[in-house]
Amino acid sequence: MKILTTVKKVVDVELNIRVNDGAIVEDGLQYVINAWDENGVETAVQLKENNSAETTLVSIGGDDNADMIKKCYAMGIENGILIDDPALANADSSVFAKVLQKVYEKGEYDLIITGKQAQDTDNGQAGIMLAEYLNIPCVSNVVAIEVMDDSHVKVSRLGDAGTEIVELELPAVVTVSDSINEPRLPAMRGIMMAKKKKIETMDLSALGTSIDDLGGADLQSEVVEYMQPEARKSGQKFEGDAAEITAEVVGLLSNEAKVL
Amino acid sequence: MTKILVVADIKQGVLKGSTSELLSKAKALGAETAVVAVGSNIESLTADLANAGSDTQYIADDASLELFSAGPFTSCVVDAAKQFEANLIWFGFSETGKAVAPRVAAQLKAACATEITDITIDGDNVEVTRPTTANKLIQRIKVNASQLVAVVRAGAFEATEGITGAENAVKLSIPETDLKAIIKEIIAEAGDDIDLADANIVVSVGRGAKDQAGIDLVKELATDLEAGFGSSRALIDAGLMPHAKQVGQTGKIVAPTLYFAIGISGAIQHLAGMNGSKVIVAVNKDSEAPIFNVADYGIVGDLFEVVPILREEIKKIKG
Ligand SMILES: Cc1cc2nc3c(=O)[nH]c(=O)nc-3n(C[C@H](O)[C@H](O)[C@H](O)COP(=O)(O)OP(=O)(O)OC[C@H]3O[C@@H](n4cnc5c(N)ncnc54)[C@H](O)[C@@H]3O)c2cc1C
Repeated sequence: MKILTTVKKVVDVELNIRVNDGAIVEDGLQYVINAWDENGVETAVQLKENNSAETTLVSIGGDDNADMIKKCYAMGIENGILIDDPALANADSSVFAKVLQKVYEKGEYDLIITGKQAQDTDNGQAGIMLAEYLNIPCVSNVVAIEVMDDSHVKVSRLGDAGTEIVELELPAVVTVSDSINEPRLPAMRGIMMAKKKKIETMDLSALGTSIDDLGGADLQSEVVEYMQPEARKSGQKFEGDAAEITAEVVGLLSNEAKVL
Repeated sequence: MTKILVVADIKQGVLKGSTSELLSKAKALGAETAVVAVGSNIESLTADLANAGSDTQYIADDASLELFSAGPFTSCVVDAAKQFEANLIWFGFSETGKAVAPRVAAQLKAACATEITDITIDGDNVEVTRPTTANKLIQRIKVNASQLVAVVRAGAFEATEGITGAENAVKLSIPETDLKAIIKEIIAEAGDDIDLADANIVVSVGRGAKDQAGIDLVKELATDLEAGFGSSRALIDAGLMPHAKQVGQTGKIVAPTLYFAIGISGAIQHLAGMNGSKVIVAVNKDSEAPIFNVADYGIVGDLFEVVPILREEIKKIKG
């Protein structure tokens, strides 16, 4: 089985993110692997270990993605493709999905694994759109996966009515939730081996396409401004005798906030 | 005139409140409204769908649509969008919405925005705002395409009292079953509890509750208040709470009038699911816990001691 997994480098959401004049202030930001993609990498590596699959990752971004890709190698991914093209700087989910479509068509994979969303945009669209463009099945928000045979996997998805059990015919796309696994910490041996491994870097023309082809010159929507959310007005904190402060808070919920 | 198609949110045969909230907003924007409903045994909901504020009801009712399957669901929405010539197609916040909206957008070559909190329409100019980056930022997005598919965040719009619609049902043809993604079964969790998405009050429990006894203690508070009962991820990972209860970036996003965070530290991923709540109460024994940064009323204390007192004091007030 050939598995393609996608990884995106995203701003570290644990740190402060500031906005100036409608744009994100780059100064002081740090970038990390998208948490859900890390779950996807772990999923791919586990499938490889249990079912003899070949694993390839693809990332879209600049050469500063190399450290993230090496980390995924150290976790057990075998091949890495980096799509590095300045024309993709303002791309949206649909354009990214079309880039992934080109990558897929070059490699003929059986299973594509993406994170359920990216922590920077929180869009949750690219993987699902990719399946639509390829006209292959897709299950999103997957929390378990099991190989049935060469051409089928069984997945569990968290849906509105409960856990859905779906049998998927390959090729297919799954987008994974963080509940699916706990990504491993790479072992020292893996880290050493990863250092020597190459990354196959391509621009759009090497991929046989162009930004116009991908719809990137004519975006369906664009972000015009970033804003900082209004901070919640600072609240009151009560310390001391539990009976007293709890009674006081309940009183305030009733009389001040009028929500009880 | 703008035409807005709202995808009905139906759970266990009941039309959920978000449908009327979205239709109310659509009417407030002066749009012509329609709703598309997909499921099994739902024809009887036509009047409810009209009363929720729709002027046309596109209905796909068939036994094959009983269990959610993204492909056929998408076909029904696309079919309705084409018949209605919708400019905007809105889903309420749900896993169904998140799974189907990008597919509908891809098929219609429309723009797609998830978790929007507001929309403005000025002639041909459509703009949406949405929180992003784990709620740390808000983005304003300009729509260039002639159609927009959007998932609306829970609590973004309010239902208008006394909104009306007209019964005008249109039967959709039933799409073929997706043989490449066969839904075998749905294992329902926590079926008859109060739905988190609809609840006016939500009580959530975190790792501070330690074990089943602690969880049961906090649940009693939820029961007293007739509140939705939620959880942080920590207890779900520990297998102590069902997945369906998770509040946060990965789980449910809630915006109730009153939110209790009991024994929850306030990780950014949890905050992303609840910091739109009107009033937040936190109980935590660590006075430095980040949850206190968003809490309107923070009680520093041991939840095993505080929760029983909370219940008693609330009983006094509610009589
Ligand atoms: C990609 C990703 C997505 C995630 N999505 C979500 C999500 O959707 N929802 C979510 O909740 N988390 C999510 N998480 C996990 C999140 O980062 C935290 O790990 C989680 O929210 C912690 O849960 P907690 O607050 O219950 O546990 P902890 O962080 O362990 O906090 C327990 C708290 O209980 C307090 N406490 C302990 N004993 C007592 C007592 N007796 N009385 C009072 N207080 C006590 C402690 O002081 C502490 O503050 C996600 C993480 C990742 C990486």
